[in-house]
Formats: sequence, C-alpha cells, structure tokens
Amino acid sequence: MAVTMALATATGAAECSRWSMASLKGALPSLPERCTIPTASSSSAPCGHRSLRLSVGLRKPEFQFGSFSGLSPLNPLLSLGLSESMSFEHNFTIIDNGGRVSAMRHGRKVPKLNRPPDQRKALLRGLTTQLLKHGRIKTTRARASAMRKYVDKMITLAKDGSLHKRRQALGYIYEKQIVHALFAEVPDRYGERNGGYTRIIRTLPRRGDNAPMAYIELV
Amino acid sequence: MARVPEPLVVGRVIGDVLDSFTPTTHMSVTYNTKLVCNGLELFPSVVTAKPRVEIQGGELRSFFTLVMTDPDCPGPSDPYLREHLHWIVTDIPGTTDAAFGREALSYEMPRPNIGIHRFVFVLFKQKRRQSINPPSSRDCFSTRSFAAENDLGLPVAAVYFNAQREGAARRR
Repeated sequence: MAVTMALATATGAAECSRWSMASLKGALPSLPERCTIPTASSSSAPCGHRSLRLSVGLRKPEFQFGSFSGLSPLNPLLSLGLSESMSFEHNFTIIDNGGRVSAMRHGRKVPKLNRPPDQRKALLRGLTTQLLKHGRIKTTRARASAMRKYVDKMITLAKDGSLHKRRQALGYIYEKQIVHALFAEVPDRYGERNGGYTRIIRTLPRRGDNAPMAYIELV
Repeated sequence: MARVPEPLVVGRVIGDVLDSFTPTTHMSVTYNTKLVCNGLELFPSVVTAKPRVEIQGGELRSFFTLVMTDPDCPGPSDPYLREHLHWIVTDIPGTTDAAFGREALSYEMPRPNIGIHRFVFVLFKQKRRQSINPPSSRDCFSTRSFAAENDLGLPVAAVYFNAQREGAARRR
C-alpha cells in the first residue's frame, strides 16, 4: 500500500514514463527521501499529500517489519536483533521490562483464574457485585482471594463519597442500587476500620469437582 | 476435655451472638441422621422439621435451655433484624434430648431469603427448674440479654450451620 502511494506521487512528479529511476527510488523503503517527496513534488492530488504525511508519522515502525517479511514480523526479539537502523527510543515501546522475559512465574502477582483478561474482569465484577448485594457468598478459594482487592477498592470509593468516586463505582458494579446503598451505609459501618473489609472462611470441597471452596463475607 | 471453640470464633458466632466461653457439655444436633458440625451447609428442605438435640453431659437432675437463632436476618450484609429467634426449649434434663424439655417457643423453619445465613444452637445450663418467658416478637432478639434476664450465665455448648435459599435450579 505504501508502494502504490509512492508510485502515485512518483507518477505525479515525473509524468514522462512509469518505470523511471525516480519511481523506483520512491518505491524503495528509505525514510529521509520520503520526507522530502511531498515538498518537492507538485502533485495535484491533495489526498496523496495527507496520506503521505500520515504514513511518515505512523507507518514508520510497521514499515521496518514489512521490509523483513520473510521472518515473523511480530516477534519483538527477532526485530530487535535485526533492525539496527531503528531509533533508540523506539526500543522501549516493544518490551518495557528491559527485555526480561522469564520462563518461571517469579514475582507475578496477578491471579489469572484460568480466563482471558476480559472474562476475568467480568468475573471479578460479578463476584464483587454479588458479595456487596448478599453480604456472604460461597465460591472457590482462588476466586475468593482474588476478589478481596476489588471489594476493598469499592468500599474505599464509598468511604470517600464524592461524585467522582460514585461514578467510578457505578462503572464497576453491575447494579446501581447496590452502589447507592453502599455509599449510604459504608461511612457508618466501616468508618473506623482501616482496610480488611472482608473475611474468608475455608470450607468443604465441592462435590462435583472437589474444588476447594470458601465463604467470603463482609466483615 | 474441652474442645477449642475455634470454628465458632472463625465463623464470628462468638462476637455476634455469644461471648467467649469454654464448652463444658457435649451437644449433638442431628437433622435426619445428618450431624450438624460447625459451618456445615444444609438445604432449607432438610431443616424443615425440628432436629434431634442430644445432650451428652450433665446429670439427670440438671436442666438445660436450648436457643436457636439466626444472627443474619434478613441478610448478612445488612442484618438490621439481628437476631431472629427460631426455637426455645427449656428444662431439658441432662443426658437426654430436647424432646424431654418444655418447648417455650415452637420451632420455626429457617427461611433464608438473602445471602447465606448462620443458624446457631446455644445451650445454657439452668441453675434450677425455672419457667422462661419467651419474648414477644421473634425479631431483634439478643441471646446475651436473654441469658442475662433469665440468669443463665455463659453458654455451655454451641454449634452453628449455614443455609441459603434453595432456588429451583440448585442441584447437589
């Protein structure tokens, strides 16, 4: 697609023949020459200018991958080693822990709950909504210990009580009467308590799959 | 040998309903051959009829009072009707079961509507054969003040179980 744009501007610039050296040079992926093409050419197509300027800004990283299309273009490790013409600050947008990808789970604290991230977030939202609605629920131990952080967060938002915090809570909890009831009763109930608004009690495993269960309740 | 009442502390029965005590008498509550242990989960369909409460301690001349309450009424997140009284049996002779006592308040079937409720059985030792007046309403009951009014002292045994509303789709 970038090649066709270069060809379009090249044919606009040099009207004599399609297969001139200028068109070939324009087709080759080299950045500094592409910057000067819009200023040099007096092309009559205004949309070509705009798309060229856009491509200079945004297509810059992808263009490097496109030139090495024989290898897998999305692998950051390979591209780091092979594209030596990339700028220094560009390296940080690919891996942000300095390239340290470990085979073990050391130090990773987020519980995955065997779900993709969108489902995980929805599960935790549903569980906190139900806990705030019923006061005590029975679920698996992993889910109960993963929920604690979000329940404490909701109660902390309710303790603050301002409109912004109320809207943040409304964006997380699925039922809005629960948010309004929470904001009404939390200052009396948890005014003196600093943190630790839930309690987990382990119980017998579930019969169907022997999953370890727990009650989680609001303190 | 006194059993350590840790499940009662963990389940916050000691704290919400009772004060800390040392269990001196062994009590076993059975619903249809299901023995109630602390924190056991039962269906409301199982607990419709009154259980068999056996007291394996004390002598035949000592009398006990049994109280059954629900501290999470109407829901554990906002129990403004704490506690709901279900059953009072007085003058139970030791080493027998609750059928030999005088039922001061008839057994009410647990109906947990919101959330998971705890249902607590508390056993007090009576100092003498006394008549206990049941309170006027079952709601807003306080086991502590009931024991203080009737001079029952600290409880001698307690056990609790959990129950939640049995929906139509719940299958074990």
